[in-house]
Amino acid sequence: MKIMLPVSSTVPSQEFLPQLTRRGFLKTGGVLMVSLATPRLTSQASQAVPQRRMPIASWLELHDDGSILVRTGRAEIGTGMSGFYPQIVADELGVRPETISLIMGDTDRTPDGGFSAGFLTGAENLRKVAAYTYQALLRLASEKLHLPVDQLTVSDGVVSGDGRKISYAELVRNQQLDLTIPVSGEAARVDPKSWNGLSGLDGLVVLGNPPMRPMSGYKVVGTSYPMPGIPDKVMGRTQWMCDVALPNMLHARVVRPPTLGSTLIAAGTLDKTKFPNAQVVVKKNLVAVVSPNEWEAISASRAVASTTKWTEWAGLPGSDKLTGFLRSYPWKAPSEGKGSIEETAAALSTSVKQVSAIYEQPFIKHAPISPFVALADVRADGSATVWSHSANLQGLRAQIANTLSISFDKVVMRWLDHAGQFGRTTFGGDGAEGDAAILSQMLHRPVRVQWMLQDDFAWSASSPGWVEEIACGLDANNRITAIKSSFYSCQSNDARIVGAILAGMPTSEPKPGYWIATEWPYDRIPHRREEAYGRPNLGSDAPSGVGMRGLIMRTPGQRQQNFPLESLLNEAAAAAGMDPIAFRLAHTSDQRVIELVQATAKAAEWQPRPSPNPMARSEDGKQLHGRGMCLMIRQNGCWVGIAEIVVTPSTGMIQVTQFTIGADVGKIINPRQLERCMLSGVVMGISEALKEEVTFDTGKITSTNWSGYKILTMAEMPEIKTVQISRDDKGYAGGSEPANAVCPAAIAAAFHDATGIHPRRIPLTPAYVSGLLKTVRTAS
Amino acid sequence: MADQLILNVNGQERSVHATAETPLLYVLRNELHCTGPRYGCGMAQCGACAVLVDGAEVRSCITPVSAMSGKKIVTIEGLPALWAQSKGAAVGAGTLHPVQQAWIDEQVPQCGYCQSGMMIAAVELLAANPTPSVAQIKDAYTNKPPSPHLCRCGTYAAIIRAVQRASTVMTSDGRSS
Repeated sequence: MKIMLPVSSTVPSQEFLPQLTRRGFLKTGGVLMVSLATPRLTSQASQAVPQRRMPIASWLELHDDGSILVRTGRAEIGTGMSGFYPQIVADELGVRPETISLIMGDTDRTPDGGFSAGFLTGAENLRKVAAYTYQALLRLASEKLHLPVDQLTVSDGVVSGDGRKISYAELVRNQQLDLTIPVSGEAARVDPKSWNGLSGLDGLVVLGNPPMRPMSGYKVVGTSYPMPGIPDKVMGRTQWMCDVALPNMLHARVVRPPTLGSTLIAAGTLDKTKFPNAQVVVKKNLVAVVSPNEWEAISASRAVASTTKWTEWAGLPGSDKLTGFLRSYPWKAPSEGKGSIEETAAALSTSVKQVSAIYEQPFIKHAPISPFVALADVRADGSATVWSHSANLQGLRAQIANTLSISFDKVVMRWLDHAGQFGRTTFGGDGAEGDAAILSQMLHRPVRVQWMLQDDFAWSASSPGWVEEIACGLDANNRITAIKSSFYSCQSNDARIVGAILAGMPTSEPKPGYWIATEWPYDRIPHRREEAYGRPNLGSDAPSGVGMRGLIMRTPGQRQQNFPLESLLNEAAAAAGMDPIAFRLAHTSDQRVIELVQATAKAAEWQPRPSPNPMARSEDGKQLHGRGMCLMIRQNGCWVGIAEIVVTPSTGMIQVTQFTIGADVGKIINPRQLERCMLSGVVMGISEALKEEVTFDTGKITSTNWSGYKILTMAEMPEIKTVQISRDDKGYAGGSEPANAVCPAAIAAAFHDATGIHPRRIPLTPAYVSGLLKTVRTAS
Repeated sequence: MADQLILNVNGQERSVHATAETPLLYVLRNELHCTGPRYGCGMAQCGACAVLVDGAEVRSCITPVSAMSGKKIVTIEGLPALWAQSKGAAVGAGTLHPVQQAWIDEQVPQCGYCQSGMMIAAVELLAANPTPSVAQIKDAYTNKPPSPHLCRCGTYAAIIRAVQRASTVMTSDGRSS
């Protein structure tokens, strides 16, 4: 790949450009290292940054062989960051992406921390790191070539001007150069004042405004650069989290209580004749069995579990009573409210027609394809190394230090690939790391904890169920004048470490609440009032301290709240007798939304007409056909989903036959990786719309394996079409996450199109669908 | 107590110590350091642990190691040799099975945890049906006992493309040689 880049003509903000310092000359080698300074740019920023415990690793290293090492505390979560970051750095620096290697996650080898899913902030950081470095290299080249900076061009890491050239590698040869760039931010820590019990999870932010290239000039960003880790994964060379082993290591299996609230009466005993090398370990309600042999640990833990005695507990409403429980809960003030109560009420009261509904969804699971696993080595000197696949290593580091009551500085987290987890560890917690660290501290040996499938399904946090009341008013021209919505759910921020709770050790302390996650595409709806209510975890008063812990999951909050909003829009369009696309376009002037809706509708061969479908019934009368759409804007991006489905009334089965998804995510970094995220996000979204539901009784989660918690299979996947719009003038947008959230409302609308019935609950299981169809038959 | 057993893994005879009922998965991973197959469910419900035993896909998480006597076990680490052997060629350093190459070319893995099982299923399918249709691929990954192959990232579309790509390579290669 040949990259020709003009030197940016943008007038740089010269308020601050860090200068290179030469630490020394070297006989061999040579490197330019980009490290961090706490900010001195503004008084505000400098006040915001405590000097405590900042990481020290360099951010970027440019070596005299032309290789570049980039470090980021964020980790690959399966959506392509490990490819996007080199692409972004390559374009700002004017090098080929293949010259860039990445270290991710490890807290002792990366500087910044931050959310792995927070791509926008991560990308902006690295873009600035590269831009600062580029400016420093230009100045260095200017000295060497005796040419002013504005006469230089850069191609593939070679600076040229006036017929002369010098490579980046030559610029740094035999020298050790330091470039210190300004950052703000604070180290992660357990913080009782924070809403989720933790602060500093954002990691560091690069300050200042180095001149950056216009995105229209990018050559690497915008191409389908392959994801770097794939060949090793395909060849069996990747070291996964589950593959790490240490000398003297013990395998552990946890013996969890029978309910989420039970406490220990007596731990079971081990038959040493059967399990000669195994040992039972108990700390309050944390019970585990360890052995040098993994299968012995598993077998022995089962034997111990069968004889361990626990108290009984029945503090949950049961999943079949969840909706009634949430509706009858004595809600007080909302956690968050947006918009005018009075103006919205006035507009609703004067509307010609009102449409209102109550929508709901049960608890669902992140459901990684592997139960979580971790390895910890807590040493006698109080230092600890923990191997993890968390998506927020610094946050987890803070939690581990807090639980073990050891210094943050003495905890090192090492990151490895593992099963995708879809937001479960965004706040650092909810893995097996706590169990491993506690057991290792007790046993003075490295301990590897692998949760079994049932442990993971029953004891990990879930994405809580919810109910939303929503209503809109229409005027005489079938325009919506106001929308009022009230969303009710449970807290979704509980990243406490479950092993620490059971062991009675210190944990973070998240607060109940919820938030409004919708972003508003309908600027022509003049009034709206949104409220979000969040009660504590179900069973929050459990004697064990655990209960049904709630956590965010992919497209958090907005995935939930977009379903009622867009479903209501579809109901209102039907009430107005209008085509659902035309109805939406009448309520927005956002050109990005309009263009994407039109492009996606064209790809789906959408024929404008109102729902329901007058031709829904198939020729043989056995099936009903429907189509529906929805849209969403999120994080500077627009998304549109169009579903076509077939309903078989005799069985209640829904098959999505075609799904068309459109995305405008600003400047597309990697069209192919974006397509993969769109395709796979649709699979998860359809899975949520049709299948996923956590069941629980009054004490415990009962859907504890893949036959109890069903997800979409390959045969159930429709043909999926993708539409992408890239824009050079809108910056980056989040592209990896939102695709799942535009499926449920589109599929629900397609169900109404096919049957004339508005479904107000997902998942649309055969039992629920059969019930809906039966109700209508009985009524008619 | 542990017995000494001889296993044939990826073309090599390997001696291991394990109790008879130990699932093959733990022996492959912990005794032989063959980490391609991975623990997903321990109940033959997901496919992450799949290996080939005498050419047929087996879920190693529920298969006792004692049942493996005299059988040929292949994991993804052994796929290059399996392909080279079928061509009567020596396996080189850079040799990949066409299924592996297709998985790279189609950028199939997202997190990638389930994908060694997915590739094992592809090799088995293409041996039985060298030119499967999309419907046949979906059927093989969904309806073949003991369970569907599950991918939580949702890479099914990429898997279908990769199986078709591998099919094209393997059948055209067959004709030219």
